[in-house]
Amino acid sequence: MPAEIDISVFVCLETLAGSDAQRNQRMIAIDDLTKVYGSRTVIDRVSFTVNHGEVLGLLGPNGAGKSTIMRIIASAVPPTSGRVRVMNCDTVAESAKTRRCIGYLPENTPLYPDMKVESFLRFAARIKGGKKNGVKDRVRNAIVEFGLEEVRNRTIATLSRGYRQRVGLAQALISDPPVLILDEPTQGLDPEQVYEIRQLVKDLSGSRTILLSSHVLSEVSQLCSRVAVLNKGRVITVDSRENLVSRHQNHTKITIRVGERLDQALEMIEAVEGVISASSSNSQLLNVETVRGRDLRPVFAERIVNSGIPLLEIVREEMSLEEVFMELVAGEGETRA
Amino acid sequence: MRSIFLKELVQYFSSPVFFALACVFVGVAGVFLYNAVAYANLLATQISQYQASGGISVSAVVLRPLFTDMSLLVILLVPLISMRLYAEEKASGTMELLFTYPVSDLKVLLGKYLAGFSVFVLILAISGFNTALLAAATTPDWGVILASYTGLLLMGGAILALGVLASSLTRNQVIAAAATLGAVLVFWTLGWFADSVSSGYLGSALRELSLAGHLSRFFNGMIMLKDVVFYLLFTVFFLAVTLRVLDFHRCRG
Repeated sequence: MPAEIDISVFVCLETLAGSDAQRNQRMIAIDDLTKVYGSRTVIDRVSFTVNHGEVLGLLGPNGAGKSTIMRIIASAVPPTSGRVRVMNCDTVAESAKTRRCIGYLPENTPLYPDMKVESFLRFAARIKGGKKNGVKDRVRNAIVEFGLEEVRNRTIATLSRGYRQRVGLAQALISDPPVLILDEPTQGLDPEQVYEIRQLVKDLSGSRTILLSSHVLSEVSQLCSRVAVLNKGRVITVDSRENLVSRHQNHTKITIRVGERLDQALEMIEAVEGVISASSSNSQLLNVETVRGRDLRPVFAERIVNSGIPLLEIVREEMSLEEVFMELVAGEGETRA
Repeated sequence: MRSIFLKELVQYFSSPVFFALACVFVGVAGVFLYNAVAYANLLATQISQYQASGGISVSAVVLRPLFTDMSLLVILLVPLISMRLYAEEKASGTMELLFTYPVSDLKVLLGKYLAGFSVFVLILAISGFNTALLAAATTPDWGVILASYTGLLLMGGAILALGVLASSLTRNQVIAAAATLGAVLVFWTLGWFADSVSSGYLGSALRELSLAGHLSRFFNGMIMLKDVVFYLLFTVFFLAVTLRVLDFHRCRG
């Protein structure tokens, strides 16, 4: 039933142009979701929402439950308890509707190895579109959009991983779904291919709501506007990347590079109130840790310049998402033990 | 359902398995035809030596043995057609894609079943060349031929349903084919057990469940409702069980 897709696309367009109320529309709402396999609890009372136009990154070590959450949203597996709503439709009771709104790229990109690229995309277009109209156009557009012209008549088994990934993305997007679920989209690719796929995802964000999983932190910080950190089936925190970093930063690191008289500069800086520690790592560089919440850079600059020492560089280093992540996951382990 | 059906056909015809199966089936069916005709020839010579009256019946001497032999070929052929239908999806992980596409499990199942059945019908149709040869040489009883083909189609459809179930239970195509063949042979020989097990209700129940028992009447030129219904129910039953299995897989992940 393409009619439903049309409505959703219409909503998207309206939202793009429209009010904040629409902008904050919940595209994916996960409520108290639990999944148990046998005696193993894979997902443990997980709740979070993804708003319209947002790119949410699911971040967690292997086995944290990222894939399972995505599979439940895509209706590949039913939840044990709790529920998931996609565009206000339940993924169990109204799965025929929700499946139409979702483009899904499973982990490891399963494709039919013996099919040709074009005939596979035609199959995907047919099965997702319902009606025959537009199948040809959609396949042609997807082939152009994902740069598959060269390989359109090749068997999928003979494609490189980069091309396979593009075919996987093309099938997910062939019916122009408002919600996109990408499970480890850059896994196993070489750096150039990783860059390509990230570029594609960036181009797609904005008009679409994207849920993306990864254990590559730099990827999440590049692509996602918000991050949900998972560990052992539980959501530890959901927040924007900046908030995560600033919230978990206990102290600020500042690096100062001076032209000469390093020892004098070191003494001077150690005397400033708020400095926790200072050390020199080579003849020019000073590493300083200060208390959180106060920016001491102007004070340092003023004192160094006033004493006539040439100041070359003064940089505040942000705590990386990686450090925050390690801290969160480690903290979780401690509280549980 | 149509999209699944077309996809399966594309996959059948893009793999050499289909052509290998068709060649072997049609070739062996040709050998069987030669055997049947040669045997009929021998009989005819002997009869003419003893100067018995009348000729021999083509239906009894050629057609029935030919179709009985072909039913054995069908038993071997159909599990090889059905084995890939789900096992391949499970092995390549595409089952997950199918589960998330906006199409019901039932439609996927029917699309796959019909594609497998079409391939079976096609191979059987190519072997119809044998019948054409026979028709050129003699005047066969078309009623018997029609009934026999109907019987083979119905039985093939029933075995295909069993094969789809086996295919949905494993990710290994060889295991799927072997399990189907084993199950078919058990159903085929149920009639033989029946006599030794019991002469009462159980015996006749087993006899009625036998795949072979229902086929012989078709080869005599009779299409009886109870035989047709048996094969159709057999098909529907195993397709329904397959649906349950798929549902179970979905929950287990």
